[in-house]
Amino acid sequence: MRTRKVVIISLLVGLGLVLHLVENMIPLSFLIPGAKLGLANIANLLGLILFGFFAGLQILLLRIFLGSILAGTFMTINFYLSLSGGLLGYLIMSLFFYYLREKFSIIGVSLGGAVFHNIGQIITAYIIISNTAIFYYLPYLILLALPTGVGIGLVTIFTYNYLPRELKRIDV
Amino acid sequence: MENINKYMTNYDKILILLIIVFSLIMILYPFISAYLDNGEDQNAFIYIKDSSQEVRRIPLSETYQDEPIIIEAEGPLGISIIEIHQGRARLKKAPEEDPAKICEKTGWISKPGPSIICVPNKISVWIETEDSDLDAISW
Repeated sequence: MRTRKVVIISLLVGLGLVLHLVENMIPLSFLIPGAKLGLANIANLLGLILFGFFAGLQILLLRIFLGSILAGTFMTINFYLSLSGGLLGYLIMSLFFYYLREKFSIIGVSLGGAVFHNIGQIITAYIIISNTAIFYYLPYLILLALPTGVGIGLVTIFTYNYLPRELKRIDV
Repeated sequence: MENINKYMTNYDKILILLIIVFSLIMILYPFISAYLDNGEDQNAFIYIKDSSQEVRRIPLSETYQDEPIIIEAEGPLGISIIEIHQGRARLKKAPEEDPAKICEKTGWISKPGPSIICVPNKISVWIETEDSDLDAISW
């Protein structure tokens, strides 16, 4: 079981990296500067559902570190922005998943993650540039996080339903 | 729609509604407060802050000339060129090294509220009015 878990986690890291690259090809910046789909979150949300908190965290951190090294943005501002957003979004997703499981579906979990991903990024950008005017972007980013968050949640549910039965710990 | 209802709980829908209401309030708040301020044109200033935290202040009333005012602000990536003309400001040219050039795509700003922010080059441009009784607004 342990080897199998390691293999599946690394497959999910690979999936996250590819989705991260594909996501960069889809231009959303014409709508709102800096907006993104958040496709790479499918990988760590699946990890969270399949293996729990630490597996999802592993997938998230490996994906951000490897992705930034591959794109050449390691230790730059882009890296800190995606790290802070990713971590805050993932923590909120885990809280929703573990403590509000009977109230929210995976769509709600993904939505909470998407909204707090943006809040984390804006807070980091504020620390870097120290100008409160950057919070002006936040409501627009949160409004756009609504369709993307719901979409990511649906995609995760559909993907989860296609996985072999012996992998699943819970029903979604 | 029936298919989506199969996957969503009622709490999900309440969450979506709360997010919409919350973000609409945050979007409308600066517009409402801008309309409540009277005579914003007379005492409005354009502020430019660069990476050395130096702030330059230009009265909006001095920008109504034939020639635009060009300001060069230096950041860690290079020089960003800011153009101010007819009561509006924009970031005309970001340095080549700027990966996304989001500040360039923001376009013109002419009112308090919207602002041009370049995170990689640590430059921000915004408009403030002097007779406002608020020092700063945060959302």
